[in-house]
Amino acid sequence: MMILHPTVYIVDDDPAIRDSLSLMIEQEDLSVMTFECAEDFLAACNDSSFGCAIIDIRMPGMDGMQLQEELSRRSILLPVIFLTGHGDIPMSVRAIKSGAQDFLTKPVTREKLLASVRSALQSGTQMLEKIERIQHTRSLLADLTEREREVMMLAVLGHPNKEIARRLGISHRTVEIHKAKIMHKTGAVNLLDLARLVQEGGLGPA
Amino acid sequence: MSVCRNFIPDLSAHEFVRTRKGKPLCQRSIAGRGSIGVSYGTGVVPNGESLRNPLEKLSFNSLFDASAEALVLADSDGHILMSNPAAQELFGYSKEELLKLQVEMLIPHRLREHHRRYRESYAQRSEKRPMGRGRDLVALHRDGSELQVDIGLSPIREGDQLYTLISFFDATQNRQAQRALQESEERLRLAEHAAGLGVFDRDLTTNALHWDERSLEILGLEHDAQITYEKFQAITFPDDLPIRLAALERALDPDSVGEYKAEFRIIRQNDGSVRWIASTGKVIFEEGRAVRIVGVMQDVTEQKQIDSRLREQRAAMELLMKRQVASQTASAIAHELNQPLAALSAYSEVALHELANIECPEKLSRALNRCVEQAHRAGKTLHELMEFLQRGDLVVEAIDLNETVVEAVNITHSDGYDSFHPKFELEPELPPVLANHLQVQKVVANLIRNGVEAMRIAGVPIAAISVRVQTLKERNMALVTVEDSGPGLDADLAKRIFDPFFTTKSHGIGMGLAISRALIEANGGELWADPAEGVGAVFHFTLPFAS
Repeated sequence: MMILHPTVYIVDDDPAIRDSLSLMIEQEDLSVMTFECAEDFLAACNDSSFGCAIIDIRMPGMDGMQLQEELSRRSILLPVIFLTGHGDIPMSVRAIKSGAQDFLTKPVTREKLLASVRSALQSGTQMLEKIERIQHTRSLLADLTEREREVMMLAVLGHPNKEIARRLGISHRTVEIHKAKIMHKTGAVNLLDLARLVQEGGLGPA
Repeated sequence: MSVCRNFIPDLSAHEFVRTRKGKPLCQRSIAGRGSIGVSYGTGVVPNGESLRNPLEKLSFNSLFDASAEALVLADSDGHILMSNPAAQELFGYSKEELLKLQVEMLIPHRLREHHRRYRESYAQRSEKRPMGRGRDLVALHRDGSELQVDIGLSPIREGDQLYTLISFFDATQNRQAQRALQESEERLRLAEHAAGLGVFDRDLTTNALHWDERSLEILGLEHDAQITYEKFQAITFPDDLPIRLAALERALDPDSVGEYKAEFRIIRQNDGSVRWIASTGKVIFEEGRAVRIVGVMQDVTEQKQIDSRLREQRAAMELLMKRQVASQTASAIAHELNQPLAALSAYSEVALHELANIECPEKLSRALNRCVEQAHRAGKTLHELMEFLQRGDLVVEAIDLNETVVEAVNITHSDGYDSFHPKFELEPELPPVLANHLQVQKVVANLIRNGVEAMRIAGVPIAAISVRVQTLKERNMALVTVEDSGPGLDADLAKRIFDPFFTTKSHGIGMGLAISRALIEANGGELWADPAEGVGAVFHFTLPFAS
């Protein structure tokens, strides 16, 4: 797995907030990029952006909640920390429900902000790892032939070789050869491991 | 039956009966008016009087012919014996043609049989009278068209023979006018009724008073009540009597146009209720003296109530608008102040972090630490203010007050205000209350903090704060009481403690209790303090039950 350096993106229309928070985060040896509006941020990030975003809820133009929606619409998987001048409960509930990592009230202490950023970066990394794992699994499964795939699907459903041979109209021996190739290609150590890969690769059965 | 065709009856004793306001068909001039003595064509003087006046020489025939009214003379069998030119013109027949007809021929076919029987019965009890009293009579023109007519019948008895002089009046216009009048009267009645208008009429010379049914109804009087002006004075609501009398006085002024217009209350006589009456009228003057006042009155109580409700609503709306503007403005200012505070706090912490890596004077780091603290304190106040301003968008739900109170105490405890022992007295069976959970929590926390701070200032060592939840039976509300062991409140303090910006502390802006009270009031309850010095301060608040 390639080593990525996460970036903390700060989106806030107040220059003093952008400046002070980036100083604070840079003190932790993290790279920071700041944007004064949602539109600028959207223009700069893409689905390979990695890290987390600290977004002010109240901004002229597109507001924080809209930005979050837009990010998820564009499949940009950045954990979002919302910042608000006034933490009213219904809004925070809405933000968390729609997948925000955290909801912080200004002024925010260094302790709270950094804790939130760390946890956001961690879940960002986990998200990325998961995606990479899925992509890897998919590429492994894609190497299988059509026949191998058929055998695999019946095998992970728990059918014995004899039954698989009967269903596919092939010999018991052929099933065994297919299975060996499947295990080799996917790197699965046993049938249980294979079932996990099938599920991870989105082939079901879920 | 044989008829003497040249028989001319004595008409001097008879007058034609004009029914209603029948208009003569032809505007031909008649030779004379008033009582006319008519002589026979033979020149015999009626009643044996001598001829003194040239008019007396006028023959019956010439008068008969000259009459503007259509006249027909018939015998008891209905044969027409004579007709005048007006009659000939009305029916479209010549004189000769009419002589061959029976009177029934002059009415539409469908009515002839009825008329024949009527004529026969008339012969039995003949009298001078209008025919078909009160009914719309119809005659038949030669061309078949029907004529609206009024008919007068004058019996003339000559020996055992009965003759009848029939006079016709064209009633078409008359009846149209009558119908229009009836309709108009009906409309007026309807309009009066619809408007709920009662009509009054007072003769100012005799003071006789007339009120119509509707007026009596408005005033709550019986239909046969004896009405006097004194009675009306007594019915008028005493406070409003001067208003009504002043309006009347203005109207009665001969130099005025005599317009009377007043709104006053009366005591409705049948149920004793106070009703608003609007009355307008017109004074009639004769020779510079007010002689009569006529007008209408209307019960406008409902209208008044609607008006006053509307006024109240408008006032409430305006107040709401003003508050909204104020709270929006304050909210915007709070938000604007909060931004630099947030930056201030962050910058200070950045500086503190930098200082951690180098040797630095203790005072510098302490000052920066205080900067951070103070920024957060100011931020907290701003958040409270914003929350207070947004209490309008209050969401209430059924909550467990016991649970809310315990949570609030726990929050306070973990928030640095731990120098007290909470003492709970809960009512486990308390029904849920209808309130905003967060706001109630905030108020309880606020009261406890106040208590802790008061005890701290007074130098009371770690002491108890009791929190009681119970039902306030007499008001059917839940009651929460927070009692500390501090110095308590004297009466003066208990009064002023809720004033905005009032504080006994060296820090704080004195909004805590004002906001708490506003929050409880927004939740439909009340917050107050018991003035009791020396035994600890006691605060209570109520909240409505959910059911």
